[in-house]
Amino acid sequence: MEEEIIISGRLNEKVDPLLHIWGWEIAFYLFAGGLAAGLLFFASLSYLRGKENDYTATVKWAPLFAPILLVLGLGALFLDLHHKLYFWRLYTTIKLQSPMSWGAWTLMVITPLSIIWCATFIRDIYPNWDWKFKFLYQIENFFIKYRKVLAWVMVFYSAILGIYTGILLSAFNARPLWNTSILGPLFLASGLSAGAAVIVALTKNEIERKFFSRIDLIIIGVELFFIIHMFMGFLASTQVQIEAAQLFLGGSYTLPFWIFVVFIGMLVPALLEYLELKGQKIPVIIPVALILFGNVMLRFIIVYAGQASRYLY
Amino acid sequence: MSHQNYITGKHKYMNPYMAGIILGLVLLLSFYLTGRGLGASGAMKSVVVTTVNTASHENAANSHFYSKYISDGKNPMNSWLVFQVLGVLVGGFLSGALSGRLKLKTEHAPVITKKRRILMAIAGGALFGFGSQFGRGCTSGAALSGMATLSLAGFVTMIAIFGTAYLVAYFFRKNWI
Repeated sequence: MEEEIIISGRLNEKVDPLLHIWGWEIAFYLFAGGLAAGLLFFASLSYLRGKENDYTATVKWAPLFAPILLVLGLGALFLDLHHKLYFWRLYTTIKLQSPMSWGAWTLMVITPLSIIWCATFIRDIYPNWDWKFKFLYQIENFFIKYRKVLAWVMVFYSAILGIYTGILLSAFNARPLWNTSILGPLFLASGLSAGAAVIVALTKNEIERKFFSRIDLIIIGVELFFIIHMFMGFLASTQVQIEAAQLFLGGSYTLPFWIFVVFIGMLVPALLEYLELKGQKIPVIIPVALILFGNVMLRFIIVYAGQASRYLY
Repeated sequence: MSHQNYITGKHKYMNPYMAGIILGLVLLLSFYLTGRGLGASGAMKSVVVTTVNTASHENAANSHFYSKYISDGKNPMNSWLVFQVLGVLVGGFLSGALSGRLKLKTEHAPVITKKRRILMAIAGGALFGFGSQFGRGCTSGAALSGMATLSLAGFVTMIAIFGTAYLVAYFFRKNWI
């Protein structure tokens, strides 16, 4: 008789009956990474479009948040690691089939890049800024000379970062709610929407504000389209996916998702931004705060609901 | 004029009779969609129960009043009224946005101070909170939703709330005129 040994990760703790491996750290990181991606994407794209001196909030001010967000997000990821001291091993290998490897390397490129980007503009923003050492001025000059190259690299890597925050989840084939390729574009759109919202809150330039308000409205429309298609895809799939979708269509995540993410986080701020564009007097900070709130809720709800969704057995 | 819709240039407030009819339709829709009426004090009660339960679960579990809402691990915030009141906040905000009234300010009679207005509002609100619990419902939950179902208690509540207001208005009128 042949002997069979069955090895299953299901025996590990925190797997059954409901997976609860990932908590606030991952959801927060996905939010911070998405927002940083949005800010850096608009900064580099606006720079490449030659708007450096027109859209100063987009190109120079808003990216200042990106390194802070990235470092905080990475800090949260670090907290989530079980073997914290081995994090550097992610950088001893490149595995194209592993989303974690993609993420680790993307962050390795974009985090220093975002710091350099901010550093090259710091003397535009604070004219009294002093680098103290001559070689720092030389480095600054070097990067200012190659800013266009920086912008091209950053525009691609920020898009990768934005998509990757969704792919990190969708690569989990054991969790039917996450295992949809639409999460990548959805999280990218959501991060871009948050980035545009922060720019709207920061800028003092009427043209810039209106431009990014309009962009935000378009992106919210795209997000709603993705959400609807995500559910259409689930419902047209197998019973496993249908039950995953049911978490949001009558199940325990119905109220938080439709009320906090879709209604308060998308429809209400979209209406407010629309009214504001039409000339109504509305403090922009309110739609901006609602969009950021919706962004955070989307990440938290998808991270938690995904762990509640599972194959039937 | 400080209050106006900057898009249409129209007057600030809706016609009250029209607003009344729309509120009635909202109530009808609420019964149709959720099987429940409208309410306000119930949401406040949920917040109070949750606060007490968070501060001291033991105290809440031993209390006859609070324990009803937290037995069997129930979450009092997971209630239709909490979400409905959230909707009222959002709706009120959108209404203010539409009519250009989004400003932080305290509206009060010229004869009283801002502080007095706020204190009176809090005192009145607290009294109403107690009253609504003794009367098993407030203007929306007991009177409005109750009368819509032709419940006798609804009519009695309505008469009691507005009748008392008429009776004592004389003593408090200086806060308004």
